[in-house]
Amino acid sequence: MDDVAQGVVRMASFTGKELREVLRRPGVLLSLIVGPFVIMFIFGLGYSGYREPFRTEIVIPPGNELPRDAGYYESLAPGRLRVLGIGEDAAPAEQRLRSGQIDLLIVAPENASEELRAGRQTTIRVAWNEIDPVYDQLAGLATSILTSSLNAEIIEHAATEGISFAQAEIGPEAASVPPEVIARPTTAETENVAPTEPNVLSFFGPAVFALVIQHLAVTLTALSMVRERLSGQMDRFRVAPVTSMELLVGKYIAYAALSLMVTAIVGALLVGVLGVPLLGGWPPFIGIVLLLTFASLGVGLLISLVADSERQAVQLSMLILLASVFFSGFVLPVSDFAEWTQYISYALPVTHGIASLQAHMLRGTVADPWMLGVLATIGVVLYVGSLLRLRRVLRSAD
Amino acid sequence: MTPSAHPTADPIITVRGVSRAFEDRVAVDDLSFDVDAGTILGVVGPSGSGKTTTVRMLTGTLGRTSGEIRVLGEDPMRFSRRVRGRIAYLPQLFSLYEDLSAQENVGFVAALYGIGPFRRRKLIRRALEVVDLHDARHRLARNLSGGMQRRLELACALVHSPDVLFVDEPTAGIDPLLRQAIWDELRELKAEGRTLLVTTQYVTEAEYCDRVALIVDGELVALDQPDALRQMVFGGDVLQVDTRRAVDPELLTPVGGVSNVRQTAPRQLMVTVDDAGSSTPRIIDALRDAGVEVGGIEEHQPTFDEVFTGLVEQRRAARGTANQDTSEPRGLSNG
Repeated sequence: MDDVAQGVVRMASFTGKELREVLRRPGVLLSLIVGPFVIMFIFGLGYSGYREPFRTEIVIPPGNELPRDAGYYESLAPGRLRVLGIGEDAAPAEQRLRSGQIDLLIVAPENASEELRAGRQTTIRVAWNEIDPVYDQLAGLATSILTSSLNAEIIEHAATEGISFAQAEIGPEAASVPPEVIARPTTAETENVAPTEPNVLSFFGPAVFALVIQHLAVTLTALSMVRERLSGQMDRFRVAPVTSMELLVGKYIAYAALSLMVTAIVGALLVGVLGVPLLGGWPPFIGIVLLLTFASLGVGLLISLVADSERQAVQLSMLILLASVFFSGFVLPVSDFAEWTQYISYALPVTHGIASLQAHMLRGTVADPWMLGVLATIGVVLYVGSLLRLRRVLRSAD
Repeated sequence: MTPSAHPTADPIITVRGVSRAFEDRVAVDDLSFDVDAGTILGVVGPSGSGKTTTVRMLTGTLGRTSGEIRVLGEDPMRFSRRVRGRIAYLPQLFSLYEDLSAQENVGFVAALYGIGPFRRRKLIRRALEVVDLHDARHRLARNLSGGMQRRLELACALVHSPDVLFVDEPTAGIDPLLRQAIWDELRELKAEGRTLLVTTQYVTEAEYCDRVALIVDGELVALDQPDALRQMVFGGDVLQVDTRRAVDPELLTPVGGVSNVRQTAPRQLMVTVDDAGSSTPRIIDALRDAGVEVGGIEEHQPTFDEVFTGLVEQRRAARGTANQDTSEPRGLSNG
């Protein structure tokens, strides 16, 4: 019984020490927690979702009957195009595209109506000069909208001519069908059935929070252990009657407590100040956070046991952060990646944290319960691995 | 030089033929010594001589290549929790937490030894009082001076009332006054019955120890009580004789009990004798008989710098002789 009590005292010593150390440097904690939220807040305020329309030039070859009015084409893809000019010569326009003076160049086909009447497809050439993958996709989307609209216009124009022919052939009923109906027989009515209105803050809030929790746990644990290893503190632990289990559990409890503190502060900020919905309630929310913390601590411990300096520990932590930003679904959906890359995504605790927290907060459900299982598995595997490694570090300093 | 054995029935620390080799060098070579209960063994040697390696092997923080070590009857590499609770280690470098206060650092170490919060409070206070840091208990460790940090380390080592303390260079980089204070504390601990093994590169600190082990290049050069080491180097007591006029050193060599005479100044002689008390009157008589007036005669206490320089020189001389002995047959066979 005495042994158990002493073990508890020893574990508590690590818990207390870790908490004191972190809380003695409030600046570090503040920058870790509040920093990302200040950035997100500014982002939320400053980012409207509005994108500058593409600066566009349209080339319509002589003889083509398409309209020459810029406003007409802008209305075909509303908000996506700003037509700077309409000309007949493609070469100078192409030059302007390559020099970055315009974003989009549309070259209409020659004699589109005649080609259609003759039963042949025509091709609209659209070119852009963009290295940003998001803008590249948007340009493709704008092109697709524009092409559909132009096609419809061409059909409408041809149909108008065809109606005169049809009236002569099939009688006056044909004239009662408006050409735009022939050209666009269906329209779409859209509806978003998600339980919360999509907006940038609500969507990124849980993701930033998951990233903060992981980064906090990884960085602080890695630095704490590396510092202890390099300062000679490990020698003190080796001599003292303390076990690797007591050391690790003490630290885990400290960071679990810290995560709960952060959760309380950030949760209040997210829900109370930024207005992010929490449809699933607090208890499961805390459960997800603790699981994420548990798995992230394992990553931090792993770093601390392989890094041979504080600088290297910081660098490795930053690499984890960078990998998390790219692969976790924080910016781009995990499903957009090649299958082999998705293994990297799912090896990161934050991937499961982001998906679980977003589903829980914004939909009120646990979308993929297996993700919680993966979080627990990552945590257990890394904990056991770290325990075994730490046991070796503590008991054999050869 | 063979270390002299210290006759004790039950030494607290026993080291037999211990060596430690790293990839490119042998840090400690065939070390053997005992430390008795309630004594201070000073391990003295220049920087890089193997002192810290020795302490780390004794505390189980570093494995040995060969040999046997027993501390409180156990092998350091397999210390039981019970024995761990009875020893303390003060590392060479400051390794406490800078963001914790002095009191919190001591409290943390106390908790490592399983001391509960209620009992801890009293022990923390006592440990801080011993090292005169109680008034600074709320100051963060990073705001303490180098000397205070060293004393804080000592307080941490003392808080669980260990029976055996391994103290690695407690006075390194500390001013002489504070060094004296730290040694006063170490001697008080010894007076309380604790056993201490203290390393230092300041040879003058050897006089605070009950026995001294001199380590050079990982080898034990000498092991004995401080006074015995003096005798060992100079072959007896040393008398400093001042005369009114210059005198031939040969005048004193026939005097009974005199083993060596050196002239250190025109009117000063250093005379090595078997026993200072009985030889002094004989030297005075011999000088008077020769018509030399004695200005003064007193026993000279060689500093430990001189003692250890002498020991190292003797070792080098012995090695040179040994090398000559081994090289001679080769030379002959070649010739």
